[in-house]
Amino acid sequence: MAEETKKSIDPATIQMLEKAARDGCRVVFDRAESTKACPIGAEGNCCSICAMGPCRVPVPKGREETPEQKKNRTGVCGATAETIAARNFARKIAAGAAAHGDHGRKVTDMFIAAAKGEAPGYEIKDEQKLLQLALELGVTIGDRSNNEIALDVGEILRAEFGKQEGELLMLKRAPLKRQELWRKLGIAPRGIDREIVETMHRTHMGVDQDYQDLLHIGSRCALADGWGGSMIATELQDVMFGTPTPTHSQINLGVMDKDAVNVIIHGHEPALAEMLAVVSQDPEMIEYAKSKGASGINLAGMCCTANEVLMRHGLPIAGNFLQQELAIVTGALEAMIVDVQCIMQGIVDVAQCYHTKIITTDARAKIQGATHIEFIEHDAIESAKSILRAAIDNFPNRSGEVLIPDVKADLIAGFSHETINYLLGGMYRASYRPLNDNIINGRIRGVAGVVGCNNARTTHDDAHLTMVKELIKNDVLVIQTGCSAMALAKAGLMVPEAAALYAGPGLAEVCETVGIPPVLHLGACIDNSRILMAATAMVKEGGLGDDISDLPAAGAAPEWMSEKAITIGQYFVASGVFTVFGVNFPTTGSKEVSDFLFKDMEDMYGGKWAFEPDPLEAARLMIEHIDKKRKALGIDKARERVLYDMAMRRELE
Amino acid sequence: MDYVIEEKPAPGRDKVEVLGATFEPGKPEGAERGRWRQKMASREEKLRYLENGERYWYGKDWFGSEKRKTPA
Ligand code: SF4
Repeated sequence: MAEETKKSIDPATIQMLEKAARDGCRVVFDRAESTKACPIGAEGNCCSICAMGPCRVPVPKGREETPEQKKNRTGVCGATAETIAARNFARKIAAGAAAHGDHGRKVTDMFIAAAKGEAPGYEIKDEQKLLQLALELGVTIGDRSNNEIALDVGEILRAEFGKQEGELLMLKRAPLKRQELWRKLGIAPRGIDREIVETMHRTHMGVDQDYQDLLHIGSRCALADGWGGSMIATELQDVMFGTPTPTHSQINLGVMDKDAVNVIIHGHEPALAEMLAVVSQDPEMIEYAKSKGASGINLAGMCCTANEVLMRHGLPIAGNFLQQELAIVTGALEAMIVDVQCIMQGIVDVAQCYHTKIITTDARAKIQGATHIEFIEHDAIESAKSILRAAIDNFPNRSGEVLIPDVKADLIAGFSHETINYLLGGMYRASYRPLNDNIINGRIRGVAGVVGCNNARTTHDDAHLTMVKELIKNDVLVIQTGCSAMALAKAGLMVPEAAALYAGPGLAEVCETVGIPPVLHLGACIDNSRILMAATAMVKEGGLGDDISDLPAAGAAPEWMSEKAITIGQYFVASGVFTVFGVNFPTTGSKEVSDFLFKDMEDMYGGKWAFEPDPLEAARLMIEHIDKKRKALGIDKARERVLYDMAMRRELE
Repeated sequence: MDYVIEEKPAPGRDKVEVLGATFEPGKPEGAERGRWRQKMASREEKLRYLENGERYWYGKDWFGSEKRKTPA
């Protein structure tokens, strides 16, 4: 038990780790113990991009390096430790941008197919969001049908991926000063794919060998994600599936039901999950489940797909990244249906200890040992039904102990930029004004985006929870996405009542007035673009400077693990946000590269990176940064708005 | 949204016509609590909301705190 509590702070996770041990089943937490991380690679000091290597160039431990030794610490080709670390870093950015970009492209293709009427089951659900995009992209509205407008919108946005020159259209959403800066620095992305390809080219053996230049083009590539691939995905998903609005649901492994056919949808793209949400309600499918002896169908999500369907359908979440194998360990999971990203290959091995079927559904992501049933968007309903049928057919194969932890929490999710704007201002004058005013008068100290993954190298959920609690205690409003949001939801911080329990007095007062939790769930990782929009809206509303870098705001990913997290971090930094990462940092092997990211970038972008594995210390850094910005804005002293009556006015005169 | 005009007494002016409540009676329950976008029925209403509510981007005569003579 003591060992387990070092692995996770989540009681459901601890219970399942104990069961896995009893069942003799090896999970990610065990693998993390037996497979030690390579210390040279962890610091970005290993290059394997050509066959003269891999070359390892670690900093000597425990002694000062002479200039001569430093000069000789290179790869076979002469690449310095700086070049190697910067190249590795830029490649991570490219990989993350590719993942989000390809997600965005797939959504765009589907959107166009839906507009053409070639994807039955999918439609334009949110006309308002469609009109918003049409206004932005200059698409004629008039009396045209939604599908006609959508087709034009879809074609314009699809062209963003392969665009060769100019700049991405959604950059125009950013604060004007930020746009000017990107242009001046030459990092306004031209096309999504182009920036990814160029980053891959420039990091190939023997091309760009100037670490500062490499990190700079990494910024352009990252911006092509944040203000490109990710933003397009979010917007078109909103049009097709609905812009999220506050929704109540439940989270953690306790949402599984021992009597029902349990199906978990895990991955990132919402197309299949949306359709499964529909067909799992189909009386014919429910009857089919009953014919196999089950009480019904219980569909839950995991990872970012879960966030997508949670925000739009209130579907429960079974857990975050490190719980994917543990849902199988319950012995009650009939099928885990996966698409792309963050799916551990280990689930196939774990499934062999139990009866769970792992079903891959995307042509881009197959796993040896899993069952592949491809999801065909053009025949979505039938396709989703056949996948669900395979899950139901597996119900009679349950054997061994079924143990579902009796642990779950309530949460409210669905705070899109549009909804925040509406909640704060109402239908007739939607506005961020109340937020800005409360930041100016000091009730809210600032805003922090805490996002990202789980990482088996650190105690599961602990850093997220510790950091966020510290932030809200200090009156910092926290906005969240991804697995980080799930960690806080599991701990009960995503309900309005949490404000009185955990938030500082100023933040609690605002939360109680508006009726929101102190920690807002903005969606999946792809929806970090919503945070960019919220930050931009705060700037445009006025009173807090005229760029994102002026805002009393900070970002963090305390338990990050994926390349996408690095891309997100870099687009936040290049958008002007101070961003702290925990666990480890892939450039610490090069002082020059780290200094460039941790210090010099602030002079260029107004935002910079920091690395701090202690979540309390990281929160302190964020608060310090927020206070620095408050001081620069001249709002470092709490001030109440004074309403002048006539006598006071006369006195003025 | 249908606007209701109400008559109210006004000091020194007997009665005046004012715009009545624009909120719905009662308290929304369950999933309805979060649904606000569905309240806008017509395309005109949606466009009007965008021009006003999302005025930083779509308002014709309002550019937020960044209004400036020379565009960036
Ligand atoms: S590119 Fe240079 S540093 Fe990298 S593996 Fe090849 S020789 Fe080694």
